[in-house]
Formats: sequence, C-alpha cells, structure tokens
Amino acid sequence: MNINLITCAQVEKIEGARGRFKATVRKSPRYIDPDKCTSCGDCAEVCPVVLPDAYDQGMSLRKATYKKYAQAIPGAFAIQKSDVAPCKLACPAGLNVQGYVQMVGAGKYKEALEIIMQELPLPGVLGRICPHGCEDACRRCQVDDPIAIRDLKRLAADEFDPRDIKIDCLPARREKVAIVGSGPAGLAAAYHLARRGIRSTIFEALPQAGGMLRVGIPDHRLPPEVLDREIELITNLGVTIKTSTPLGPDLGIDDLFAQGFAAVYLALGAHRGIKLGIPGEKAEGVRQGVDFLREVNLSGKAAVGRRVAIIGGGNVAIDVARSAVRLGAGEVQIIYRRTRSEMPAWEEEIAAAEDEGARLTYLSAPQEILTQDGRVVGLRCIRMELGAADSSGRRRPIPIPGSEYDIEVDQVIPAIGQQPDLSAIENVDGLEFSRWGTTEVDPLTYATGRAGVFAGGDLQTGPWVAIGAIAAGREAAESIERYLDGRDMAAGRTAVVNENPDYRPITEDIPRQPRAAMPTLSAAARRGNFDEVELGYETEAGRAEAHRCLNCAYCCECFQCVEACGVQAVTLETHAQKPETVELEIGSVILAPGFSPFDPSRFDSYNYAGHPNVITSMEMERILSASGPTQGHLVRPSDHGEPKKIAWFQCVGSRDLNRCDNAYCSSVCCMYAIKEAVIAKEHAGDALDCAVFFMDMRTHGKDFERFYDNAREKTGVRFIRSRVHTIDPVAGSDDLAVRYLDNDGRMQTEVFDMIVLSVGLETPPDGIALAERLDVALTPGNFAKTDAFAPVSTSVEGIFTCGAFQGPRDIPQAVVDASAAAAAAGEILSNARNTLTRTEEVVPETDVAGERPRIGVFVCNCGINIAGVVDVPAVRDYAATLPYVEYVTDNLYSCSQDTQDTMARIIREKGLNRVVVAACTPKTHEPLFQETLMNAGLNKYLFEMANIRNQDSWVHKNNPQLATAKAKDLVRMAVSKVALTEPLKEAELAVNPVAMVVGGGVSGLSAAQSLARQGYETHVIEKSAHLGGNARNLYRTPDGERIAPRLSALIADVQQAPNIHLHLETELKQVEGFVGNFKSTLVCNGDGTLLEHGVVVLATGAAPLEPEEYGYGSDPRIVTSLELDRRFIDDDAGLNHLETAVFIQCVGSREPQRPYCSRVCCTHAIDNALELKRRRPEMNVYILYRDIRTYGEREYLYSKAREAGVIFIRYSLGNKPQVRAGSRKVVVAVTDHVLGRPLEIETDLLCLSSAVVPTAVEGLAQMFKVPLNDDGFFVEKHAKLGPSEFATDGVFLCGLAHYPKPIDEAVAQGRAAASRAVTLLAREKIHTSGNVARSDPFYCSSCGVCVAICPYAAATFIKEGPNSGKAEINPVLCKGCGLCVASCRSGAIHLRGFDNDQIFAQLFALNEEAL
Amino acid sequence: MAPWEPKIVSFLCNWCSYGAADLAGVSRMEYPPHIRVVRIPCTGRMSPKFFLAALREGADAVWVSG
Repeated sequence: MNINLITCAQVEKIEGARGRFKATVRKSPRYIDPDKCTSCGDCAEVCPVVLPDAYDQGMSLRKATYKKYAQAIPGAFAIQKSDVAPCKLACPAGLNVQGYVQMVGAGKYKEALEIIMQELPLPGVLGRICPHGCEDACRRCQVDDPIAIRDLKRLAADEFDPRDIKIDCLPARREKVAIVGSGPAGLAAAYHLARRGIRSTIFEALPQAGGMLRVGIPDHRLPPEVLDREIELITNLGVTIKTSTPLGPDLGIDDLFAQGFAAVYLALGAHRGIKLGIPGEKAEGVRQGVDFLREVNLSGKAAVGRRVAIIGGGNVAIDVARSAVRLGAGEVQIIYRRTRSEMPAWEEEIAAAEDEGARLTYLSAPQEILTQDGRVVGLRCIRMELGAADSSGRRRPIPIPGSEYDIEVDQVIPAIGQQPDLSAIENVDGLEFSRWGTTEVDPLTYATGRAGVFAGGDLQTGPWVAIGAIAAGREAAESIERYLDGRDMAAGRTAVVNENPDYRPITEDIPRQPRAAMPTLSAAARRGNFDEVELGYETEAGRAEAHRCLNCAYCCECFQCVEACGVQAVTLETHAQKPETVELEIGSVILAPGFSPFDPSRFDSYNYAGHPNVITSMEMERILSASGPTQGHLVRPSDHGEPKKIAWFQCVGSRDLNRCDNAYCSSVCCMYAIKEAVIAKEHAGDALDCAVFFMDMRTHGKDFERFYDNAREKTGVRFIRSRVHTIDPVAGSDDLAVRYLDNDGRMQTEVFDMIVLSVGLETPPDGIALAERLDVALTPGNFAKTDAFAPVSTSVEGIFTCGAFQGPRDIPQAVVDASAAAAAAGEILSNARNTLTRTEEVVPETDVAGERPRIGVFVCNCGINIAGVVDVPAVRDYAATLPYVEYVTDNLYSCSQDTQDTMARIIREKGLNRVVVAACTPKTHEPLFQETLMNAGLNKYLFEMANIRNQDSWVHKNNPQLATAKAKDLVRMAVSKVALTEPLKEAELAVNPVAMVVGGGVSGLSAAQSLARQGYETHVIEKSAHLGGNARNLYRTPDGERIAPRLSALIADVQQAPNIHLHLETELKQVEGFVGNFKSTLVCNGDGTLLEHGVVVLATGAAPLEPEEYGYGSDPRIVTSLELDRRFIDDDAGLNHLETAVFIQCVGSREPQRPYCSRVCCTHAIDNALELKRRRPEMNVYILYRDIRTYGEREYLYSKAREAGVIFIRYSLGNKPQVRAGSRKVVVAVTDHVLGRPLEIETDLLCLSSAVVPTAVEGLAQMFKVPLNDDGFFVEKHAKLGPSEFATDGVFLCGLAHYPKPIDEAVAQGRAAASRAVTLLAREKIHTSGNVARSDPFYCSSCGVCVAICPYAAATFIKEGPNSGKAEINPVLCKGCGLCVASCRSGAIHLRGFDNDQIFAQLFALNEEAL
Repeated sequence: MAPWEPKIVSFLCNWCSYGAADLAGVSRMEYPPHIRVVRIPCTGRMSPKFFLAALREGADAVWVSG
C-alpha cells in the first residue's frame, strides 16, 4: 500500500541534496490501465503480433500485448509500441498497414477491412491498382523482399464483402454538399462526409461513376464489378450519384449553391491527354491514350490498327498496349525515350505487356507522324542517349543527331501524360490555377479561394496516385465539416514526423522467406478478353505472406485487445497514451538497475552465434525451468533431441581482459553452472554426462562448497580444470567437438551434444548512462563505487545502491545489500517516518457467532478464461442446491472494482455470513476478496475459494465436461469447508521499541549504528572489554584502505550516540518472551540486570582457526594471516628484509571436517603478498592454493599479484604441502602443478590462511530457539531471501556468525539486520494471523512433541498456574504450519482455518452423493 | 465401456506445490482432470487420518506434495 510502483520509467535527473531530492522520471505508457487489468490474458489471446519472448531468451514467442512472466508485478499486462510503422507513414492516406496485414495473417478478413475502411472505402480497388509506396518503405526489404501489402489488402476484400462491413455514421445533418466528380477523391470525400453525418450528391460527367478508376484502368487490371461493389457501399450510406451530369453552362458552381448545397467539392480529375507537339498529330489514326482507354472501358471496344505505336513509359502507355493487344492489334510497340529502368510504369506491368506480345523500344522519341491522305502511315523517330540527371533524378534523354529512322505504323497513341480539363470552372470567381493547369488550394485544408469551395484529387495535384486522391477526399471531408461548423479548418492538422524512428530491430537471425507469388492467368488465356489477370492469393498463401511482416512498430493497433477486454482496462484512450514526466520529492535514492548477462556472440571462438547447440547459461536456465519454453524438458535447440553429453564453459565474459574487457570475476557462474549440471542430471537421469570446464572453482558462498562436493562425488558431475582451446562443429551432426589441454598437458578431444556458456554479469549500457546522469562514480568494471565501511553508499551522498549494480553478486548478497540500502535510506528519512503513509479504513465487524451458515457462492467467468471451458451457469445453479447456500450468482470478472462493490452490497443485503468465490487462485486473490468481506463488515476468515481457473479451466481446456464436473466438486468441497469456518481474531501486540545487539564487532556495531540513527534505543552486548571484534586485527581492506582509523571512527560514533547503550564484558544469561517483548538477563562482573527489548540482533561473530598442521606454533616464522596483519599494523621492519615468503591457503577450510570455504582468505593472502612485494620487490613470494577465489572485482588483486611476480602453485587436498622448520629457513615441499614435479621452497616466513570458525554459541541458540548448521553457523530464515533474519520472529542475524565474510559484507549485513528489525519496530504493533494453532490444555498430555517440533518456537510449556506443564502455542510466533497439530498425539491442538473437521469436510464432500 | 479413470486426491502445500499447480495453469499446461486438490498450510499439517479419509471416500490414490 505504501509502495508506489512506477513501471516503464526512467530516471532522467535527480536534483537537490540528501534528504531533499527532486527526481524527474520519464514514464512511458503501458497502454493498459494496471488498476483495471485483471491479468486474464484475453488481450494477449487476440493480439496478432507475435514476437520473440525475451524472458525465455527468445526461445519461445509472446504477443505485443504481454506480461513479461507469470509472476510479474504488477500482474497487469502491457503493450509494447514504438514509432508509427514506416508502411503507415509512407501511405498518403495513412492506412494502418501493419494492422490489416496482421489481421489478414490471423485470417480475420472482416477485421482487416474494418481497419482499412477507417480511411479507405475502396479496399478491393486499391488492393489491385495501388502503386503501394508502402512496399518501398517496408523494412522487410532489408531482409529479403517487402511484404505484398497491396495484394493482402485485396485478399481481405476477396474473402469478405466490404459491403457487409458496418460503417458507423453520425446522425444525418441538415446541410448537403455537392461533389463534382466520382473518382477516388470524390468518392472518398462522400464516404467520409457520410460518416460525419453529412449527406452529399456526386455530379459525374460520364455515364458511369468511378472517374479514372472506371475509365482510366482497363478491366483486366480492375474488373468493373469490383468497383461497382465498392461504390455501392458508399451509396449505401446515403450518397447520391448523378451520372452524365457534367459541370458546364447549365450547371455552374453558383447553380449548386443556389440548389441549396452548403459546400462544393471539386474533384474533376485530369482526363485530358497531353499532346506530343510534333507534326501530323491531327491525322486520322492518332488517338490520345486516355481517350482510347475511356472508350475501351465504357464500351468494351475501340478501333485498333494493324501496327500500333504507343508513345510513353507510364502505366497508361502499358494499359493502352495491353488493351490494344486484347482488341486484336497486329503489332503493338511502345516507344520510350529513356531505358526500362527509368520507366515510371511498374515492372510487373511491363513484364506482363511483354508476355502478352507488346514490344518495347527504348531510347527513341517520335519526331513526326508521317501521313498520307490525312491518315497515319508511319512514325519518324530519333535515337536518344542518356545525359546528366534532371530534376526528377532520372538521366535526361538527348537526341543523337542524324539517327532518325522511320517505322511503318497505322495508329499512334500518345500516352505521355494528362491534365485537368478546366473548361467548366476556369471562369469561376475565386478559383486560381497553376501554370500546369491544376487548381490552387490551401495545402492543409484543400480550400480554394472561394468560400465553401474545395478541390482535390488530380484536379488539384495533376495526375497522381488514387490513394493520394483518397487522402485528399478524406481531408476535404474534414475541412467541409469544420467549415459547416464554423470551426477553424487548419487547427491541429499537422503531419506526423518520425525523426530517427524507433522500430523493432532487424536482427541477423530473421530467416529469409521469399515473397508469395501472385497467381496469374496464363498469357494464352488472356488473349482476346479483358478477364482479370491477377487471380488473388489463396488464403493460406496470403496468411503466410502476412506472417512475414516484421511488426516494426510492435503493436499494430488493430485494437482487437480493446474488443476482447471485458473490464475496459485497454481502450482506444489507453492506446493513445503518451509518455509523461513525473516529478518526485524524495529524501533518499536507491539505485538497483541490475545487470545484463554477457553477450557471447562477440566471441567467434565459442561459435555461439553460429551454432544452435551453443547456448548461454540464461538459456539453459529457461530450458530447465518447468515454465520455460520446453516446459522443463531437457532438449537441445537444434533438433529438440535429448542431449547425452553437455559441457559448461566457465568465465565467458569474466576474468578475461584480452577479449571482453571484463577483468573481474562474475562471482555467481561457478555455482549456477554446478546447479544447472545437477538439475540437468536430475531431469535426464544418470546417463547424462555433465562436464564443467573451469579455471578456479569458486564456491565461496554458504553451503556452496558442500554442493560442489556432492555434485562431484555423489551426482557425478565431471569438473575439468582447463580453458577450452577450440570448439568445432562435428560434420554430419549437430554435435560439437571440444579440444582442450588436460591436467597433464595433453590435448584431448571430446564430443558434446550441447555447450552451455557460463556468461558473466555486466552493467548494462543504460545502467552506465544512469550513473553518468546522476554523477555516480563507477569502478573500472562499471559497477557503483562504494567503500568497505559504507558498502551501499555511492559517491553521491543520499544515493545508495544494491544488487549487481554494486558488483557481481548472488541472491543472498543482493538481498543483504538491499536491506542495507533500505536502512541507509531510512536513516535519512527517520524523522519523517509515518508522515506520508496511507492506512486503510476499517468497517466495524458484524457478529455472526451462533448464526446458522448463510453461504453466498460467487462463480467467476473470468471473461472467457473460465467460461470458455467450464459451464459457469451450470456450476452456479449447482451451487444453489448445496446445503446452507443462500445466494448464488456469476460475475464476468469477480475481481473488478465494480464487482467488489456489488459483492459487498449483496453480502450486506442478503445477510450472508460465509462466502465462497469460485474463480482463480487464493494465492493471488484471497486477500482481495477478504478485503471485500471486511468492507461488508464480515470477518475475513469466513471465506473460501474454489480454484476453478488455474487448476481447472486453464489445465483442462480440451475437456469442458470433466472440467465442469471438477468445478462443481471444488465448489462443493469449498462450501462444505466454509460452513465450518469461524470468525477468527487477529491479536494485537505492542512492540517494545528497544533493540538489543549481541556482539560488538563491525557487523554488530553497524547494526547498532543504523538502529540508533533510525531512532531506536539500542543496547550492544559485548563479552570482551573491547569493541571492534576481529577487525581490530586486520590491516587493510582489498581497496588498500587502512582499517584501524575507520574502525575507530565507527566505535567513536557508536560511543557518542545518545541512544546506544554499550554493555562491555557482559554476557547474556537468560532470555524470556518473544517478538516485541523480550526480557533478557545480562550479567556483567557477576551482576545481573534485566533488559526489556522488542528485537534482538545476533552478531556473535567467529574466530580464526588455530592451525594444527604445517608446524604452526612450533616456530615463530610460521604465522597465521591475522598474525601477519598484526605485524603490518605494527609496521614490523623485519618484514622488509625477507628473502622469501610462502602462503598456504585453505588451512582448515574445505577439509572433510570443515567442508566450507572461508571466503576471505584468498583475497587476504594475495593482498598481504602484494604488501610484502611492495616492501621488498625482489622478495620471492609464493602462494600455495587449491582454487583462487578472488570473487568480484577482487580479481584485479589476483592479476596484480601475478604481474608483481607472486608465484602461484596449486596443490590438491590429497597432496598437501609439507613443512619442515630448518634452522636457517623453513622448508616447504609442494608438487608443482605445471611441471608435476616436487619442489622445495626455503622460506623466511610461512603464512597460514587459517579458516574462519564460528564461536561456540549453542547456549545463545538455545535461548532464542534458533538453529545452527553442521558447521556451527546460524541458520537463517531463508538461504536466499531471508539471509539476515531467523525463522523466529524478532530475532535477526549478521556478520561472521552467519558465515565468513569480509568487512564490507559484514557492515552491509549489520545494516541489513537493522533494516529487517526496523520493519518490526516501526509497526509499533504486531497483528497475528488468525490461522494459528491453539492447544486445549484439557487434552494436552504434556508430551512435549509440539514444543520440540515447532520451527518458530511458538510452542512452549506453561510455567505457572493450573495448567502448568501443559503446552501452549503463542499465536504471535505461530505461522500456522500445522506441524504441531499433526504431531499431537492427544488431539489437543487445533489449527484455525485448517482444522481437522474442515479438511475432513472437504474430503467427505469429494463425492456428490455424499451430500 | 469408458476406460477406468483414477480419482486422485492431492494435498498441496500452500507455499510451493499449490503455487506450482497454479503456475501450471498460467503456463497453460494440460493434465487429466481426475485430481482434486486440498490446500494445506504445510505438508507438516498432513495427518494419517487424511489419507485414510480420502481412501475411504473412494480415492484411488493420495498425493502429498510440499
């Protein structure tokens, strides 16, 4: 309630200072209202846009309307959009091309037409003759060929009659409009006016409507019935067309106004052919192309010669030629002055003309028409050549002098262009014309100089494409409506501009797929007729063609989701959302932008980009996941076969400065690779061979070393210490051959079925950009720069960080840091605590005790999610027959806010005292419905859900009958149970706002400091006389900072804090009470005092192991790491004169009796080795190790040490170094791992990196009833998600008592424990759950099983009174698991909400006949 | 005659298996509709009496998961 989640957001800037920041956040729209969305997924079901699912690493598909993954928070869906698609932008009429292409792809032809006809009333016509500028803009051209957009439009109109599309029109207005010309511009204007409720009459000069569509395009390209059908859909809207009614002396514009038309739209077109301007043009046998086509189209015939010459290179010339061939012309020749590549006619048209027998002559121009007796007998032409480019960008044709030649022809048809015939309007007042004979208009509104007169189409532009005329007609309709309304005609009508558009990227992996070929009539079948040549796609071919669309804009705005959404969470309005900028007033900032996995496609050597069976570990995670692309079936990508051998390659994108610049260790990959290998073997069985190729195995986390040991020893995962040399695909299979050097230096080749690259973590570019914007300093590895004593503070005061942005880390560490960052942020805000929080209003509860059950059953349809499978009315009616059921109903969406309100009203009105909701899952929706009960004044525990969606309709969709039967059973079981529920109380308990911290080391002091800064009284209990713990013996941090001064500062701060009370030389003797109210007895010098506190933080630390090997204790030259640190702290000059120093790692760690890694020793030893080298560079320094574990950016130290000449020699557990203390030197014998030969090192100093061992804290663990693991460290609540707290409420954990860790992690966990504690302290009161166990002392036999078994220390023996010795359950500590109930041999314990009778009631109701 | 179909009663832990069964639905996996789920707060809640009751009510199998 008090977390305001702003999704799709980016922080642009943060101004101000600590405690008083102002953040500017750019919020991108999600296009779906998250408050209304019920996550039913109906929108995604209908969304046609299919995209790779990034969550599944592209191995499965998702829709443009999507939820990233099932458990995503918020659960609402979102829509992915980018800029307007290029096809739509390229269309003069702005058709939503991507939308209708997707609809065609989905086979939804009607819906496709609905999208097309938003703008265009002639889908079948334009689907045939549109010059499709959209296809030139199509980005599929970058892959192979553009989408056949025009042909898909035609397919839609072929498959669904556009006349049956319902076109919404506003109520008819009084005004009428006259339109002159029934071409595309006039028809579009009439159509769009009709939709605006404005009636119009079209005056057409010719005997048939359609303009150039009718008389300019021959029937073999546009069958007249297609045009008729689509004109009919316009006249169906009430548009009148008066044919054979030209403008002229009898009908002028003034006459139209006089007839009562309120506005006039001139769309006369351009029907007059342009003359060649050469001698002989008046001769018989010369015919203008447009005139020729008009006659053919109106009458079906026209006179053709034996030898026909057609002049021109446009579509009209081709149309004339193809018509002339059909009409029986003997020889048809097209003469064009440039070459084929400059021809404006479409290539497919030119080819068709050739197929049909027309001949083309290029680079030739007519000079004179040769006549005899006034008839054409020939044509004199001249050869041309191409010169420089002209203004159109085409090369200018230049006559070649002396190249004239004559050809014999009897018909010449010029088709070099056309222009408007202005004779009827040239004298109208206010109209002006250009020198090309076109009408001048306002470019935005299409208004002419005369009020109420508009013009468009070819009349205004000169001859242009039909879709342009249609756009002009629509714009004129908009202007005319505004004109009639008296509104500003220009306002808000600017064109969309996409500069640097953001589109779905075109990637290498898009498979090439040729464009679907258009089926055509054979050339032979075309002879002598005007049958349509292009036959249109078959539906399957067309849909496949549509699926080639790349969905450049992601969402195609088909708005199918709007139709599908039953709760109006997605509407046309939400679709139109724009990005917004939000300003936030904040006191602290936490940056947690996370990491991105390293992209190995940069490495050729791994063949990741080239071979399907080389995958990343992230892909492997998804393959192994039950909810992943293969539903958890372990198969390899190439053939979906089950692999027999899998290899993991470690350190891909980590510890590699040569190739990827990531010199750091990514910390997590060793562990996840082992985990994946183990899970893979669990999935596939023991026969699967898993091999991990690694450099150093880094299992430094808590219990990780054990996992490694088990994987190796028990599960049989092979671990091969080798960096792989090459990977080669095995010819003839999908397998991969791996070449590597084995332990003995021999080259081995092994074949694997698949290879998993264990990719590292890196800060994504936007994380780096964010840091730059906020001025947050980064490390060399691009992680936020922090400091060991302030591990979550960035370089900017008040800005904190956590997670992988702070450095590569695993989940437990990230959770620790997250809590620490919350504490650090809270320290700044503590004065303002509870000033801006929101709380809920509480409705008084009705007492239903003693009432007979009155059950209401609400069955949810969940849109079609349940109702599509389960017969919801039948379930509802069945529920009405069940005992105690007083009311039943079904809801479309039970979780929508209005239904919630209705349910609360019904509960009150009908006096219901129990409620069953049969819907989705209680895991997500129980709290919501319980709130509804509370709003109706009903105790929230009088409720039960029947899960008929997630566990019924969704999983049995092919079995509706049995799914319905199951739903009835589940409802019956729920009703039986709910009848036995009782109102439960949630006890309230005050929290004593005092904290106790046990342990005064760095971690405990950090916890105390944070608690105190957040305003809580804190007591620190330290058994020794000093604060600081182990840190007092440490020399410096891996960053090179001296620890002593920082520790002193921390101690001083704690000592000065007025609300911190230090109890030195004090031990805890006894603890009573529980969360919120502990009473601890402290003993100092024999004196006991009682401390009352609400929470406790255990920071009891650990100690260095005192080694029992390697001669420790027998010789002063043999020391531990901390002893060496002490000599550094004391600046022991003796260290400056050593000739040789040797470090032995894993002394006491990773041994059978102590099978854990002490985490800190590798870094510590290397840092100390470097310090010795600094003091005396010529000193020989050896580090004898098993695996170097310098995780994260500590890896830099390892590199630095090697550069400084520190010699690293690996030994194995079975072959440990031998130490002999000689009189002059200490001799260390070890086997060299490279040469495989024994080596003796004579040294002056032998430093043993001894293990970190937990201090004996059994007593403490008993007192707080918290567990210890086999190694003696405390067991936290949850290894990943609850690292700084115990399962027992009110008890928290930090520092080495949890696990060995360096100072930065100890400080972070101290703060984390404080943070977790504050979540309790700040509440002031704790509410217990109602679902708790209760023991009846009358039946209790005092056996103590419950006391022993309770994991939360909730069960205890009563100490006093009549029931002394019996068990009781503290409801505050009880988590309601029921362990005690099941184990109680006396039947004394009952679990409220899940009591025996309630579970039995469910079981007894299993069978219908039971009731 | 219709093939024999078992009747299975499953007791699923609220915190893991019950959620997993929900996720199976979210992922639109399919399984035979012969299973009836009883949600329990923890498998620690299971009592031998529940097995016996389920079997007595005609269950052919009882499945506990948590």
